[in-house]
Amino acid sequence: MAEENGISFIVSDRSFEKFGMALILGTTGDAMDVKMNFFFTFWGLHLLKRKFKPKSAGMFTGMKGMGGMMFRKKLGKFGMEDPWAMIKDAVENGNMKLYPCQMTMDLMNIKREEMWDYVEDPIGAAGFLELSANSKIVSL
Amino acid sequence: MADLVLNTLGKKCPMPVLMTKKELKKMSSGQTLELITDDRGALKDVPALVNKIGDKILETKEAGEQITFMIQKA
Repeated sequence: MAEENGISFIVSDRSFEKFGMALILGTTGDAMDVKMNFFFTFWGLHLLKRKFKPKSAGMFTGMKGMGGMMFRKKLGKFGMEDPWAMIKDAVENGNMKLYPCQMTMDLMNIKREEMWDYVEDPIGAAGFLELSANSKIVSL
Repeated sequence: MADLVLNTLGKKCPMPVLMTKKELKKMSSGQTLELITDDRGALKDVPALVNKIGDKILETKEAGEQITFMIQKA
């Protein structure tokens, strides 16, 4: 069902930075009672995997993994100890929905079972556009 | 005196907003919440949250790094 005046975000990158943007906008939107769809496609699909640790895209080559861990630690000090628990809350409140893209899952051989169980069932391009009929669409 | 006090010193965006919403959710109509923060972004973020969800900011005080909001649940 298309939501009135919601926001739909497209996430196509697996960096820590994009993850951070989805985390902060998603949880804040939940606090403000905004309905949001997050459509994960291409490399962004990795962010939905339980075992995936995002690396920093902006850090120097060779330092990207460490950069991701460093950011994570610092965000913990800012009060975000468990980012995925925060996202789970926003999903359970019904304001944040996480949709994996079926075609790119097949393309990249990423399985639904690798993802968190509060991720919605995969959808396609038409499904995402239908969901977003009354929403702003933003590519992160 | 507020009915409840929420201290978010040291916490950065979006935590003061998320913690405020969580607290307001538990409160009953007419009750007040004193929010203490040192996140400069909260000066705009907390009013944005409170306006969006229909509650009210009764008072905002700044003293050095510290910002204090008095919020009333609608």
